[in-house]
Amino acid sequence: MILNRRSLMTTALTLGAMKAFPGLSYAQARPLVFATFTGSWEEAHKAVLVPAFRKANADAAIVLDPMLSVDQIAKINAAKANPPIDVMLHDPGPALVAIGQDLAEPYPVEKSAYYKDLISEAQEPMGPAPFFQVVGLTYNPEAIKTPPTSWADLWKPEFKGRVGITNLNSTLGTGWLVEIAKMRGGSEANVDPAFKAIEELKPNLAAVAANPGALATLFQQGQIDISPGNFNAIQILKARGVPVEFVAPKEGAIAFKTTIHIVKNSPNRELAFKLIEASLSPEVQTTLMNPPYLIVPTNSKVAMGGEIARVLAKDTTELKQKFVFQDWKKINEQRSAWIERFNREIKI
Amino acid sequence: MGTAPASRDVTSYGMGLAAPLALFFLVFFVAPLLQLLWLSLHNDTAALHWGLGQYLHFLTDPFSLSVLGSTLLLGAEVTAVCLVLGFPIAWLYQRVGPRLQTIIILIVLLPLLTSVVVRTFAWIVILGRQGIINATLQSLGIIDTPLKLLYTQFGVVIALAQVQMPLMTLPLITALGRIDPNLDDASCSLGAGSWRTFFRIVLPLSLPGVIAGCTLTYAAAITAFITQSLIGGGQMLFMPMYLYQQASTLQNWPFASAISIIFLLAVLAVVSVFTTLGRMSRGYGGA
Repeated sequence: MILNRRSLMTTALTLGAMKAFPGLSYAQARPLVFATFTGSWEEAHKAVLVPAFRKANADAAIVLDPMLSVDQIAKINAAKANPPIDVMLHDPGPALVAIGQDLAEPYPVEKSAYYKDLISEAQEPMGPAPFFQVVGLTYNPEAIKTPPTSWADLWKPEFKGRVGITNLNSTLGTGWLVEIAKMRGGSEANVDPAFKAIEELKPNLAAVAANPGALATLFQQGQIDISPGNFNAIQILKARGVPVEFVAPKEGAIAFKTTIHIVKNSPNRELAFKLIEASLSPEVQTTLMNPPYLIVPTNSKVAMGGEIARVLAKDTTELKQKFVFQDWKKINEQRSAWIERFNREIKI
Repeated sequence: MGTAPASRDVTSYGMGLAAPLALFFLVFFVAPLLQLLWLSLHNDTAALHWGLGQYLHFLTDPFSLSVLGSTLLLGAEVTAVCLVLGFPIAWLYQRVGPRLQTIIILIVLLPLLTSVVVRTFAWIVILGRQGIINATLQSLGIIDTPLKLLYTQFGVVIALAQVQMPLMTLPLITALGRIDPNLDDASCSLGAGSWRTFFRIVLPLSLPGVIAGCTLTYAAAITAFITQSLIGGGQMLFMPMYLYQQASTLQNWPFASAISIIFLLAVLAVVSVFTTLGRMSRGYGGA
C-alpha cells in the first residue's frame, strides 16, 4: 500500500467528516432530545422525570434542552424533515400554533397505559397534558389581613395603588384578561368588558409588569400587595421567605394545560412516546406533586396531598369544580388584536 | 504560488488582517440583516406574498409611530442627562491630582464592571414605594404618601442615565485630555472670564468627544431592552419591547422585521446627524 499525500488527505477528510457529521455513519444514533422549559421546570424534570424514564427504558440516552415554547417552534420549523428536538412542551397558546404548523405527531393513544386515566381536560390526542399550571390571586399577608376571595376584590378601594397585573405577552396576562371578561359577562370571543374593567382598575394599579417574573420582584420590594399570580411561582417566592400567599378565587382558579408532544418526523419516536408515558405515570406525577416541586397532577390516580390539597383541591372531582379551563383556540384568534389594544389603552 | 514582488505596497496588509473579522461580520451580521430585510418585505406571517404591507402598516399607524417617537425621545433625554452630569466629571478629572484621578476613573468604570441586570435591579430598590428615595423623603416629613417613581418615564431616564454614564464620560475624558491647558491660561490672560473661556475654548475643542459620547449613549439607551422593561414596566412601550412582542408572543415575524428595519434606519438617521455635527466640529478641533 502506497501512502501518498492525496490518499492521506482523503482519509483524513473522510474521518473528519464522520466526526463532524455523525449522522453520516449512524442514522439514528442521537439521544432523545426533550425541550423542557427553563428554571424550576428543568430542575423538576432533571430530578424526577429523567431518572424515571431511564430506569424504565434500560438507561436510554436523553438530553434536556430547555428553551421557551417560541424557540422550540422556531427550531423545529427550521428543520422539519430532521428535527433537532423529539419531545416538546407547550403552554396552551403555543401548543395550538405548533399543531397548526403541523409540527406535532398525534399521540398513540391506544398504545398508552395512562392516557385513559387522565382527567378529561388533560386528554388531548395531539399531545396530552402531564401537568396543570394554576393562576389565582396572590397577596402579601402582612399588608392584607383579610385574604381576598374573588377577582372582584382587586377593585376594592382599599387597594388603591397596591394592585399589580401583567401585560398580555404572557399566558398568565391573557388568561387573566379572559377571566375578568367572563366575570363581567364577556367570553373568550368578547373581552370588551375586561378592557372596561381594567379602565376602572386604574386608580388601584401600581404596576403593569412586563412579564409574570417581574411581579415577583414587585412583591419583594413592597411595590404591590395583590396581583394575579401563578401557583408554582408563588411557592418559589414563599420558599425564599417572601411574605406571599396564594388563594384560588371563588370564580375558580385559571388552569393552563401544559401539553407534551412527540415532534413530527422525530427519529426517536418510540423513546419519545416512552418519555411522555413516564410523565403521565402516577409515580412521576406523585413525586412532582410533593415539595419542593408542587406541580399539579393530571392523572386521576394520583391522590392529592400537601399544599396542593390545602390550597387548590383535595381530589380530581374538586379540582374539576374549582378549576376554570379556557378555550385557547378562540383566544388565539384575537390575541394579537387584544395585545395591540392593551398597548394603546392601558397607560397609567 | 508566484514569487513575491520585490517591493510591496505596505497598505495592502491592512485588508488582509481585517479579513477574518470582515468574514465574521459578513456571515453573522450582514447575512442575517439581509434575511431580516427579505422577511420584512412580505405581507403575511408565512412569508409567501411579497409586498410593502408591513411598512405601510407601521408608517400609517399613529400608535406605532408614537412608540418610535417616544423611543427616540427617551434616547435624547438620557443623552442630555448624561452629558450634563458627565461633562463636569470629565472636566474635574483633568484638573485633579493623580490619586483623585484614579478614584474618579474607578467610580466611572465601576458601573461597567457589574451586569446591567444587577444595576437595574438596584434601581428598582432605589425607586420603589418603600425604596431609598421614598423612605428618606417620608422620614424627613417632606411627603406623606410615597411618590410614584418606578414605572414612570422619569424613572426610566434616571436609571438609563446611570447605566449608560460611562459611555459618555470616557470619550469626554479623552477629548478634554487632548486640550492644551495653556489655552485656558491664554484665554484668561486675554481678558475672558471663566464662562467665556468655557464656551469659546473648552467646549468647542471637546466637541469630538461630546459627539462620540452622545452617539454611544444614545444608541445604548434606546436599545436597552432590560432596563426599559424592568423600570418602565409593561405599559410603557418602547421599540425593543414592541419588537419582542411581535416576534415572540405573536409570531408575526414579518412585522417584527419591518419594525427592526425602520428602527435601524431611524437610529442611523440620528447617528448620522451626530456624525455630521462631528465633521463640522473638526473645523474647531484642527484650529
